[in-house]
Amino acid sequence: MRIGMPHMGNMYIPFQALFQRLGIDYVIPPVNNRRTMSLGAKYSPEGLCLPFKLTLGNLIEAAEMGADTLLMPGGYGICRLGYYAKTQEQILHDLGYDVEVVQFGVSERKLLGLLDIIKHLSNNAPWFRIISAFRFGLAKLNALDKIERVVQRVRAVERIKGTANQIFTKAVRAIDRADDYDTLKKVQIDFINQLNQIDEDSHYEPLIVGITGEFYVVLEPFSSFDVESELGKLGVEVRRTTFVSEWTKFSLFLNPLGINEKDRIHKAALPYLKRYIGGDGWESVGEKVLHAKEYDGIIHLAPFTCIPEIVAQNIMPSTRENIPVLTLLCDEQMAKSGVLTRLEAFVDLLERRRRAQKINV
Amino acid sequence: MITIGIPRALLYYQYYPMWKTFFEELGVGVVISPPTTQDILSAGSLRVVADTCLPTKVFLGHVLALVEKCDYIFIPAIRSVERKVYSCSKFLGLPDMTRAVIPESPPILDIDIDINKGKRNLYQAIYKLGRHFTWDPLRVKQAGTAAWQTHLSYKQLMHDRGLTPPQAIDRISVVSSDEPTIQHNDSAAERATIAIIGHPYLLYDEYINHRLVHRLEQAGYKVLTPEMLTIEQLKAGAVRLVGQAYWAYEEEVVGAGQHYLESSTDGVIGIMTFGCAPDSLMIDMVHRQAARMETTPFMSLTLEEHSAEAGIITRLEAFLDMIQRKKRKQVEVCV
Repeated sequence: MRIGMPHMGNMYIPFQALFQRLGIDYVIPPVNNRRTMSLGAKYSPEGLCLPFKLTLGNLIEAAEMGADTLLMPGGYGICRLGYYAKTQEQILHDLGYDVEVVQFGVSERKLLGLLDIIKHLSNNAPWFRIISAFRFGLAKLNALDKIERVVQRVRAVERIKGTANQIFTKAVRAIDRADDYDTLKKVQIDFINQLNQIDEDSHYEPLIVGITGEFYVVLEPFSSFDVESELGKLGVEVRRTTFVSEWTKFSLFLNPLGINEKDRIHKAALPYLKRYIGGDGWESVGEKVLHAKEYDGIIHLAPFTCIPEIVAQNIMPSTRENIPVLTLLCDEQMAKSGVLTRLEAFVDLLERRRRAQKINV
Repeated sequence: MITIGIPRALLYYQYYPMWKTFFEELGVGVVISPPTTQDILSAGSLRVVADTCLPTKVFLGHVLALVEKCDYIFIPAIRSVERKVYSCSKFLGLPDMTRAVIPESPPILDIDIDINKGKRNLYQAIYKLGRHFTWDPLRVKQAGTAAWQTHLSYKQLMHDRGLTPPQAIDRISVVSSDEPTIQHNDSAAERATIAIIGHPYLLYDEYINHRLVHRLEQAGYKVLTPEMLTIEQLKAGAVRLVGQAYWAYEEEVVGAGQHYLESSTDGVIGIMTFGCAPDSLMIDMVHRQAARMETTPFMSLTLEEHSAEAGIITRLEAFLDMIQRKKRKQVEVCV
């Protein structure tokens, strides 16, 4: 049995660690590229969103590499995601791949759904082995996210643009190679130090832009032409609340206690959107309201035809809390130059707005 | 008298008789918006971002048509009408979205319908709705029971007599006991039958589907729709095609699709709108099934506000020509 999984950002690294420790044969399809995109777009029903197309592309590429059991997140919720595994399996069968697409429910059972599947895949390995492998995977995930947060800050103020990104690439590779906790810890500290030592423009006050929107396109740089790095090049500091490690932390320890990481965001959205509408629509509205004072602007990322985000997009302009929002719809037709032009215009607008505010003060 | 506006769009076709009875039992007048026109659609489209789906734009147009014509507008947020089966995000976001994009609209009555939370929660939601008009829980209860009875007889009427929702709504509104039963005159036996599958708000809104049903009937075809099947038939069809249901209101697409593909209809037409989240997957499932079965021709028509009438007619003609040719061939083989 060979396992394959779609990509989402650097998520393959923690999974690789997890599967390796359990002795599960795991193939990593090539990271998202033009071919993944065109494969996905070619075989998808036309009205589906970019996450479906990219993950389908990943699954096809994993199947080409000999994977026969493909893991796909899903579960009951309201977003179409719950149906993706089923549809993708049919598409793969129609293409002649003899594969099984296994869905693990992330929406209602959170991480427990994943643990169950892993138990099954590892030929019923004892729980202590699964938990220990799982912990190591989580440690890698946390290290990645910690470094990424530093990168987000440094990118905006570094004197030579691109340095932080280079170090980040190296860090990702080093974390992938680390195979015990000590090395991992050392790698983490080492790279965070390196990032902090980058030559910075200490007088420069960067604009702060929040990134919100649909989970997948926010976390998969390929789907939005890596907006975060592009903003960094324009000297903008990026903040986002969506991190996989946040999600796992709450899912494992705090959700069972009735604490939800998103309560604050939901409460902020209440005057404008009273209920959960599926996907991340509620959060998008909430984050706009919540961060209107802290940030200079918000970039709202959504896949084309994503209904929850469309509802959010319709509601956002009517909130009393005022902050510029740029919605970028991601799909396979998107062109890099188009995105860059819009980002530049948006950043110009934010700069002018900040100047005007300073004069008023 | 207080009046409540109900937009003639989306779930109107499923639940209007029920809602109407409920409000009238509580002594509240009900107004509905006029049938869709170009003006209604354009007015709705102007308020929202371009990617919003066509039925939502139509819905907002209808809300705009009701502004200043009523005291309240009724827009429920229907999360689920069955256990573990959820409806599309647009139904949930509808009340808040309407409030956001049409600030001038009369106060919106929104209630949360979520069967997953249990019966008690549902009753509370209904009571909360009724409390806008009366403090007497008993009256709300009676109104609720009467509404449910109307709903059942509405469904029964459509299924027994083969009526479409607009016809059945007319029939229910005009209380006449002796109806002429002109339906099912079986000179239609050798006429070809075409089944159209899709949501009622697409099939019966003559403006947005360019009078599809009418055109098919004019061309001499017998038209079958999802409402003519029983709920059991729809559910069984859906289970055979996609397994356990995931979305509410999808049996009328996959259930009916599977049923009509298996039965001896001469063709099936699937109707969806561009950007419809559930249908993009569900029509695709029916499409794949039709391709696998290779018995009944299937065509899917995607509607949007730009779809030109001529385009639809051309595709329809080509589809019907193909069916005719297939029929002739079958006859020749038999001879």
